[in-house]
Amino acid sequence: MNGSSIIGLPSVLSVGRTRRRRRIRPHQIAISIFLVMAALFFCVPIYVILVTSFKSMNEVRLGDIFALPQRWTFASWKYAWFAACSGMRCDGVSGGFFNSLFILLPSLVLSISLSMLTGYAMALWDVKWANGLLFVLFVCAVVPFQIIMYPLIKITGFFGIYGTTFGVAVVHAILALPILTLIFRNFFRSIPGELTAAAMIDSGSFWRIFFEIVLPMSGNILIVVLILQITSVWNDFIVGLTFGGHDAQPMTVILNNLALSDTGENNYSVDMAAALLTAAPPLIIYFVLGKFFVQGITAGALKG
Amino acid sequence: MFAKKIVGLIAAIVGANFVTNAKSTELLIYHSWSTPSEISALKVLNENFSSEGNSWKDLAIAHDSGVNVSLMNMLTGGNPPDVFMNSDPGIYRDLKKQGLAYPLTKLYQDHHVLEHFPPAVLKNITVDGEIMKAPVSVHIDGMVYYNKHVADAVVVDPKSWKSLDDLWAVFDKIKAAGYIPIAQGGDKFQIAYLLQAIIASETGNAIYDRFYGEKPDRTCIDTREMRQALAAFRKIQQHTDPGSPNRKWNETTNLVITGKALLQIHGDWMKGEFLAAGKQPGVDFDCMNIPGTKGVVVTVDAWGFLNTKKTEKAKAQEQFALLVVDPAINAAFAAKKGCSPVRTDVDPKSLDPCNKVVLETLKDPAMQHANPFNTADADWYRTIWDVADKFWNTPSMTPDQGVAEFQRAYDSVF
Repeated sequence: MNGSSIIGLPSVLSVGRTRRRRRIRPHQIAISIFLVMAALFFCVPIYVILVTSFKSMNEVRLGDIFALPQRWTFASWKYAWFAACSGMRCDGVSGGFFNSLFILLPSLVLSISLSMLTGYAMALWDVKWANGLLFVLFVCAVVPFQIIMYPLIKITGFFGIYGTTFGVAVVHAILALPILTLIFRNFFRSIPGELTAAAMIDSGSFWRIFFEIVLPMSGNILIVVLILQITSVWNDFIVGLTFGGHDAQPMTVILNNLALSDTGENNYSVDMAAALLTAAPPLIIYFVLGKFFVQGITAGALKG
Repeated sequence: MFAKKIVGLIAAIVGANFVTNAKSTELLIYHSWSTPSEISALKVLNENFSSEGNSWKDLAIAHDSGVNVSLMNMLTGGNPPDVFMNSDPGIYRDLKKQGLAYPLTKLYQDHHVLEHFPPAVLKNITVDGEIMKAPVSVHIDGMVYYNKHVADAVVVDPKSWKSLDDLWAVFDKIKAAGYIPIAQGGDKFQIAYLLQAIIASETGNAIYDRFYGEKPDRTCIDTREMRQALAAFRKIQQHTDPGSPNRKWNETTNLVITGKALLQIHGDWMKGEFLAAGKQPGVDFDCMNIPGTKGVVVTVDAWGFLNTKKTEKAKAQEQFALLVVDPAINAAFAAKKGCSPVRTDVDPKSLDPCNKVVLETLKDPAMQHANPFNTADADWYRTIWDVADKFWNTPSMTPDQGVAEFQRAYDSVF
């Protein structure tokens, strides 16, 4: 889901960049109108969230959601990061931030290293039952998480990692393995066979070929997978909720606690600030690595 | 070699878990609360609980993420809470089946607290004849909260109304003065809660329990009382403002707080919004039952306990169950939370005007009805929500058609 919306935008942009005509053509106007509409579609809600987060509750109560704050205040941001309560723990979303980080890092290492190796073996080496395994992976990639949730709880409980950040990380890694392995396998397929064949003649081992030939060529695909994984793990709610127990609740679960209340009073400006703070890390990473991301998703297509 | 390492690692992790569990009287306390009023109320409990030499390990997961599911997940995964906030009787039946239920009947009898609970509270905390929950707060699901300044401006006195007809009578005057007479949000939750509040207030004992009870009675649908309730329900729908659809109850309450609307009929937890906005009960806003009310729907928040089969935990759990219903602590809790106490014998000095209305109402056993979430068949209750929503959003639907719709729904469920 995330992937398609991210992929759509840069490809349109690159079309615009290659054409260097000064005169504006009708179809360019059409594209511009479409892009402006698409941008508004995302920007209007973000604008409302932003201005609300800088208002005091008395201004929010007036209900003019598009109005700029009469008095700008950072109080909600400060409160959301440092002092908002999730239960009796009142250290804002910052408490969940570190939990999210401790979930993210091991899950990245586990999922990417395992799936990369498997993909490499399946694409470039003769593996018995490779096609069968590929089929199983494909099936696994489309099984909804909810179906295997209960057995997974049992399994993590049995291994004593239920309710720990490491347990949540392992579950994330397991859930991501099928699709990541498929991505890596397809990418490595595009590496010319002659390259590995030549390396094998030079008596390269499985590991040496991986580290000295394949890995250096995989920078772009790694960036793609990294961004996909960071976004999905960071933004995840249900895995963190289900496997986090009481000590390992990620930022999204804390955010839900802050913002959701049946019979309690609502503080919308704090909710908005907390939501923006929670959403920020993947966005920042995307902005920093965005250029490589575009290169990465086109890399597969350019290889002959 | 590698396998040995894994086994060692697992053993270390499991062992570490046992060590933390073995800490003496720490209870893991699971609830769904996080707003400032809720937290300051919980702190009242925590201070008293800790002063008895226990420690409170807190776990919050907000309501809509499925409190039952999370509780069951934690049971499955092997680190369940010792105390949890849950009113659903089903969960206590499930726990009983697994031998994990912890009844409070004897404890409460020994300490003579049961006689101080209003009948609605007693009914709520009893599951299959045993007291299973420690009640902590009481809400009435449908009260009238109104903005006193708006009432003064349009020269109406809501407290003089004797019936809903008196209410309708002044609506046009209020509209002419430029105010919304009744603020009502159009999401399913508010619509369904309004309907049950009106069925209780307009028809009282005649049909409420037969309609929302454990085994609903089909004959209560095709009655004069049901038509009367649906007609009143329709009347409110006709007077709502254009912003009503999908508006949350908080935002709806804000219309009353900011003086755009005169009143709202909703659960009395809206008091929390008024207080958070710095409004004073009796000065800026006031509260009352629905005019001419014959009955009210009562929501009770309550704690359940898990049988851990450890004596020191059981001791701490019993201390918790007792302090929750201690009259002074419970009153202090209620003042912070914006609810009403669960006992009728608390010190009146600790009550605000709205609490007094609630406790006065709850003194009459004939007036009170349980929230359907705690009594009704879950499928049937969901279906009622759907039909109420459809009726509300189809302005051409008459009470007769509503009755037929409920009958059809009944036949599809039972």
